[in-house]
Order: sequence, then C-alpha cells, then structure tokens
Amino acid sequence: MATSVNYGYVNARIRGMKSRLLGRELLESLILKPDTDAIITELGKTPYREEIEKAAVQHAGLACIEVALRMDIARTFRKIYSLFKKEMDEKYARILLNRWDVHNIKTILRGKNIHEPSSEILGCLIPAGQLDEATLVELVKQPDVRGVIDLLATWRIIYSLPLTQHFKEYSEKRDLAVMEYALDKFYFAIALDTIRGNTDDDRIMREMVATEIDVTNIRSVLKMIRDRIPIEEAQEFLIPGGAVLDEKRLVLLVKAGTIKDAMKQLAGSPYEFLGQVPEETFKQEKISVFEKELERFLIRKGTGWFFGDPLSIAIAIGYVWAKFTEVTNIRIISRLKMADVAEKIIREELVYV
Amino acid sequence: MVDWGIPIGAGIAFGLGAVGTGFAQSKIGSAGAGTIAERPETFGYMVVLVAIPETLVILGFVVSAMMIIMLK
Repeated sequence: MATSVNYGYVNARIRGMKSRLLGRELLESLILKPDTDAIITELGKTPYREEIEKAAVQHAGLACIEVALRMDIARTFRKIYSLFKKEMDEKYARILLNRWDVHNIKTILRGKNIHEPSSEILGCLIPAGQLDEATLVELVKQPDVRGVIDLLATWRIIYSLPLTQHFKEYSEKRDLAVMEYALDKFYFAIALDTIRGNTDDDRIMREMVATEIDVTNIRSVLKMIRDRIPIEEAQEFLIPGGAVLDEKRLVLLVKAGTIKDAMKQLAGSPYEFLGQVPEETFKQEKISVFEKELERFLIRKGTGWFFGDPLSIAIAIGYVWAKFTEVTNIRIISRLKMADVAEKIIREELVYV
Repeated sequence: MVDWGIPIGAGIAFGLGAVGTGFAQSKIGSAGAGTIAERPETFGYMVVLVAIPETLVILGFVVSAMMIIMLK
C-alpha cells in the first residue's frame, strides 16, 4: 500500500548522508592514534570537523570529543526528523528517534538514583530524540529522581505519565527497575499503536519494534534469573508484543532457573547466539556480556535494513542505526584510548557495520 | 472522408511516450534533488540521469512522425 512520503527524495538524502559515515579504515586509523589530541585532529579532517571546532572552543581532550559527538548526532537525527516532517509523515521518525528519549530518561534516572555527578550523566546521554540537549541538561540539573519526574510533568512530556504512576511503588521498594519497566512498556505500547496499519512501512517498523521488545524482555529475563525473582513477580516485568518470544515462552525462560538453561531454550530462535557465549559467563552470571551481544544483534538487525526496500522507511532505520553505531564506536575508541587500553581489546569492543 | 486512425495512433504514440517520460523524470528528479542537496558535486551526473528518460518521448515523437509521413 502506498504511503504519503516521497521516499525518492528523502531516501536519496539519507543515502547521501550515509556516504559520509566513517569507514572501517578511518576507525582503524583512530585506534592507532597515540592519544586523545591526535584523535581530535583526525576527526577534524572528517565530516565531524564543524562540531569538533565548535566543541574545542570550550572543551579539551575527551570532553571535546564527547561534546562534538553529541552535537553531531543531535543535528543529524534532527535533520532526519525534519525531512520526514516536511513530507507530512513523521510518525516513523518519531518512533525511531524517541527510542533515544527513553534511553536518556532512564540514564538520568539511574544517575540520579546512585547520585552520580551531572557531568558523568551528561556524558552518557545521546540527544537524538525529541528531548533536545538544553532539555536534557535541565533534567540532569535536578537534585534527585523526584525532581526529574516533576520537571518532565511540568513540561508535559508524555514520559512523565508512567513515571508519575509508578513513583510511589519506586519510593517503597527503592527499585528503579519498576519505573524503567513502566517507561519501556509505555514507549512500546505507543509505538505499536502508531504502526498498526497495513502499509509496508508499518510492517517494517513493527518488525523492528517487536525485535526491540524481544531484546528488552531477554535482558529482563536474564536479570530476573540472576536476582532470583519469583515467577509471579517476574511476569509483571514482561512486555507484550515481541517478534519471536511471547509471554508464555518468556515465562518458561524465567522458570528455567539458571541462565544457561534459559539460553538453551532459545535454540532455533534468532537469539540462539546467546547460548554460545564462553562457559564462564554462565557460571559468573555476567549479564553485561549478554547485553553486549544483544546490542550487537540489534545494531546488525537495524543496519541490515539499509539493504531493504529502497523506497521505504527501511533506509532511514538502517541509517539511524549506522550513525548511532559510528558515534558509539568513536566514543569507545576515545574512552579506551584515554584509559590506555590495548588496541586489540579496543577492536574487540567495536561493532563494524 | 477523413481517416482519423493515423493521427490518433500518432497522438497515442507521442502522448504515452511523454507520460512515461514525465513519470520517470519526476521520480529521478526528486531523488536527484535529494542527492544534490547532500552532495552538490553530483550535479553533473544528475543532469544526465534526469535527461535519460527524454529518449522515451523522442522515440514516441519519431514513431508518430513516421506514422504520419509513411502511412499517408
């Protein structure tokens, strides 16, 4: 079924933007740089030049790279949003980019929950959604979790709804997972509701969102097994609407009791790779290893859309994930270089698309 | 009595060629505009690509002209 978006124009622009993404050779040359200043100089020769020059006025070293990357990704994703807005069909762009709003709010709440310094929290944010950098800075300035939620409610940002509803439960249990789950559920419910149609774009978006739901649910299952959460309580934290894993199958995963047994049950599904991590990961119950594998899976799935229908939303999905991966890779390189980590380990941490 | 068959056939041959060209150029033109907006250095290529569908209408014109001239 046809859509109102002129994909010929929009996707040509997105493809043009993709041609400016940094290749593997450039990432390799960044890895081989001796220090952060050399990385800044190298980035100054790439499409990041403008942002690097702006950031260098006020910041130096790692902070300069972080600020430049934040400015660049915010500008890029805002551009994509405006392209779709001009085409009068920005609902897909909204779903794609609001994912980072949820990520940012969760990061701020986590930071405030453990009283992290504002600069640390700010460094972990990706201002790629509808909440711009100024909004995020104001949120980070709030003294505690309550302050963040109150400010979101004052600005009538929709994400304040699930947070306000579950704040009492959070206060009683002092468990941030309650609010994080509510936020995820709220975002996915809105996303799935928006793309209920029968167009090809709706179908593509549904597939991507459903995969993200699966990944979120697997993460929750892993944490629940590790923390020995009772099955009755665990059921409350599962998000409906996954692509492969329905609620019944997720409950069986939780019931497996150990991470190894749960991951064995994923055999035959697209998440089979989780059962192939090193043996000690199962014994030590290192959730971070599984989370990293799931993140890689999501990135590959997301960037893979770039080879989908050239006159559909697939190109935008592919680009958004490719850009996010590039920024993440540069962040990883600059931070690990700062910490003087070996080049071999840096290469292992990167995701090439 | 006037034989309308030949001019109508010539008109269809030319008209459909023109419609085809217009459709192709609208699609290539919008994609080309997007490409030039991001990469101005591709302007030359885009002019050539947008011009290629003109061959359709030129062929239509040639066919219609041949019909009028040769089928008198």
